[in-house]
Amino acid sequence: MSKKRDKLQIIYDILSVVKGRNGKIKPTNILYKSNLSNQMFSEYMNELMQKGFVVENKLKSGKTYSLTQKGFDYLDKYQMIVDFTSSFGLSD
Amino acid sequence: MNYAIVPNWFAGYNAILELMFFVIALLVGVYSIRIYRLSGQRQSKLLGISFLFISAAYFIQSILNFAASYSMADWCSMQSMAVTHSLSNFGIYAHMILFITGIVTLAYMTLKINDLKAYALFLAAILAVLLLSSNKLYFFYALSSILLIYISFYYLGNYLDSRKMSTLIVFTAFLFLLFGKIHFIFSIDHGTFYVAGHLLEFVAYVLILTNLISVIRRK
Repeated sequence: MSKKRDKLQIIYDILSVVKGRNGKIKPTNILYKSNLSNQMFSEYMNELMQKGFVVENKLKSGKTYSLTQKGFDYLDKYQMIVDFTSSFGLSD
Repeated sequence: MNYAIVPNWFAGYNAILELMFFVIALLVGVYSIRIYRLSGQRQSKLLGISFLFISAAYFIQSILNFAASYSMADWCSMQSMAVTHSLSNFGIYAHMILFITGIVTLAYMTLKINDLKAYALFLAAILAVLLLSSNKLYFFYALSSILLIYISFYYLGNYLDSRKMSTLIVFTAFLFLLFGKIHFIFSIDHGTFYVAGHLLEFVAYVLILTNLISVIRRK
């Protein structure tokens, strides 16, 4: 059985999914690929938009999401963030 | 107010060590704020703020001790000694308030709660006890030690959960910081404890710096 994902890992997973099809991915695809419940998914997406990691694009065909520069930076520096936060006991 | 006894031979070295602690605490603070900007994680912000307060406390203490060792020089005038003395009282208060604020912020971070009112109450209660006490320096070291005991237990738990070298280093660092502060309690009567306190804190900050460097290198 896999270990329970922490918040930083879940954010990494969501951002990685969004990056895979940046600007074209729909909420249902992210929900499916990030392996979260509906409620958890909404909470995380709201937080990620609020903190400026992703932006919502409203199209005629529906909503899509894309990464901001901050989102790309998070993915680039993820390992460093994990190392720092785990050593200083900063997990949420 | 009582003062710690500083052995003559150690005057000047204490200021250099405190300057090192200031630089290391500043590095951790700045790096932690950088992690907060990357991750948006609230606890990184709190750790950053706490270390920035601690670094400011060491900066003031270092300047104070440089000034004290300067005023102890033979060629120094009585006037400059008087100025140094009045500045040192202000400096000691500033150091105590900044350090306690940093440690309280760190303890608040470990509680993992998001309640500014609770933080304000916690900080106000501790600062009130410190500032209203008859022997401020004793209370400062005692309160710092109590808070560091709590923080050390938190980092012990963090190490036991992860069993990683980096978490062991951080736990050991806080243990040394605690031992250092306990030694400072006795430095009011014995100069040897003042030196020992500084050396223990030196080990603590070297460990914190080692961990920070290993994190930066791994990226």
